[in-house]
Amino acid sequence: MIPTPKNSPYIKLRLFNQSIALLLSKNVLWTLLVLSLSILCLIVLSINIGSYQLSTFQVFDILLNQPEDVASDNIIWLFRFPRTLCAALVGAMMALSGAALQNVTRNTLADPSLVGISQGAALMVVSSMILFPDLDQSWRSLLAFSGSILVALLILVLSHSNKSSKPVRFILLGIGISAFLSAITTAFLTYGDIYRASAALAWLAGSIDAANWQDVSILSASALVLIPLLVLCSRAMGALRFGEQSAVCLGTRIHSTKYLLIGCSVALAATATSIVGPIGFIGLIAPHAARRLCRSSVVAHLLLSALLGALLVLAADLAGRSLIAPSQIPAGILTQIIGVPAFLYLLLKQKAHSAI
Amino acid sequence: MNSKLEQLKQPEKLSYSLAVIASVAICSLLFMLHLSLGAKPLSYAVLYQSLSSFDNTNFNHMIIHNIRLPRALVAMAVGASLSVAGAIMQGVTRNPLASPSVLGLLAGASFAVVIGLGLFDITSPLYTPWIAALGAATAAILVLAIATAAPGGATTLNLTLSGAAISALLAALISVMQLANEDDFDDLREWLTGSLSGSSLQSFYYIAPIVLLALTVAVLLSRKITVLGMGDEIAKGLGVKTFGLKVQLLLIVIVLTACSVALAGPVGFVGLVIPHVIRFFVGADYRWVIPFCAIIGAAFLLSVDIVARTVISPQEISTGIITAIIGAPLFVYLVKMKLR
Repeated sequence: MIPTPKNSPYIKLRLFNQSIALLLSKNVLWTLLVLSLSILCLIVLSINIGSYQLSTFQVFDILLNQPEDVASDNIIWLFRFPRTLCAALVGAMMALSGAALQNVTRNTLADPSLVGISQGAALMVVSSMILFPDLDQSWRSLLAFSGSILVALLILVLSHSNKSSKPVRFILLGIGISAFLSAITTAFLTYGDIYRASAALAWLAGSIDAANWQDVSILSASALVLIPLLVLCSRAMGALRFGEQSAVCLGTRIHSTKYLLIGCSVALAATATSIVGPIGFIGLIAPHAARRLCRSSVVAHLLLSALLGALLVLAADLAGRSLIAPSQIPAGILTQIIGVPAFLYLLLKQKAHSAI
Repeated sequence: MNSKLEQLKQPEKLSYSLAVIASVAICSLLFMLHLSLGAKPLSYAVLYQSLSSFDNTNFNHMIIHNIRLPRALVAMAVGASLSVAGAIMQGVTRNPLASPSVLGLLAGASFAVVIGLGLFDITSPLYTPWIAALGAATAAILVLAIATAAPGGATTLNLTLSGAAISALLAALISVMQLANEDDFDDLREWLTGSLSGSSLQSFYYIAPIVLLALTVAVLLSRKITVLGMGDEIAKGLGVKTFGLKVQLLLIVIVLTACSVALAGPVGFVGLVIPHVIRFFVGADYRWVIPFCAIIGAAFLLSVDIVARTVISPQEISTGIITAIIGAPLFVYLVKMKLR
């Protein structure tokens, strides 16, 4: 065992008889702290701000004590609080999905909304909303997942078969497939019954305004299953950063890990999409920003990405409902407007065909 | 020797000329079919009567003159201009994926039209093509600049990625405009999916001469496009002023794209599909590729529009949706096969 120098920038953490060992840098810990605090601030802000005026004191009173009047109690507990939690969870899940996808495909530009994974979910959900409007909402996650996983498999099969394949072809194939899926989705929207279509249209814009406690419970349940899975894969993810061959040499079972990671990534994106609709580019921006904030291990990077994703979607949702109030801009559109310049920046900065 | 070469070329020329005549025949057949099919099927006798001796009290004649004829003409103009624009782009950039929709020109043109309508209340169809041209030009220059600045230069990959990114950004901005004032944009919703249903003869008569002019210039320049397709250095060696030629061709592409957007909104993937089909049969000689693209592009959009109007009649699907459903798989195939 190597002794740790006194003023090392790292803190060692070993748990469960060394089966989990973490080397945490102090830098990362500070960043995590700052991010968590800012998320907390945004959550408080997001609960406070709205068309119905409530003072901060009143809000805390409602959250902590018995309600004094029913209207403001309902506004906080039925509308603003679940909406805020939904935004944070969705952001974290999309960010993790993007981080896993970028790791597996070794492609810095991979994002679930760019390569058609979100569009697969969207097509399944929109078609079910229009063809079977009586279907219970809880089926949506399953449908969205099946749509996304089909798209992911299709892209993998198409981009795999050629030996000389570059990781970048993955994205171009995804762009083609998402154009195809979007066209069919649009066909459903124009052909379907107008009332069902307008409900589907609101969902498609990536709007969090209809979030309720059932959504929060679905999101947090799947996050509780999927995030530990990702953390379990983190060692293999670290090895994959060096490329597949090196990962094999380092003793990684790359096939099983790869499929597990892709499954996790798709499941995270699909669950988030099924609740609030496609939220674009968070899966692209958050992992990159996390990498830029500080050098970090894989687990710490995942944590940072998740927090940044939550922060971004919270901010987008808050901005979307207060910028041109009383009408609302869906969070998905705002993240897209922020995301495209980020994507172009990455496109300009990447070394020719670089990996992560 | 020379005459022998000429003789060798002769059969090709003859068969291509016959093929041109055949495609014109197919196109006019589809035109007649387009006019007669629909929610109310009309016989060819009625069709002939309404075209030769129009009677504005006859209901059937009104259907043909006010609804179907403008629609068929607009479909032909849009199909021809988008296909030729796509062919020129693919020839000049030597990029199998280049087309007005993939490189963001359609998105730029429609964004400009939406902005013109939303912020400046410009509804007159007289200005629409020029506003669309401004948008298409801006988008084209932006995409080209980003792709050139990216490492590796203006490769297929960089061009396609920046085109997709710019399209995504403009689509999001269009959605914001739509949400900000919903009532004004109710009519635009269908236009934005690339629909021919609101076509009018008035705007066709205004825009058709511009399209024809651009197509003629494209045919005149076609010999040089073939040379440019061999690569910049060879083209320079053969005495082509490449920069000036590229600027001229870019202008043609922008005008053609803008005219199609002004007529029917963004109809995607036509400019990708048709040039590939034509080059598969004709080869890389743009003297033939461009005329064939114009004729077959017109025929293609006519037949797509017939499907769009009849498949779930009396309702209809937007034409742009069907072209995307046909075109996107071809895009995937091209990425898989052509991109190494």
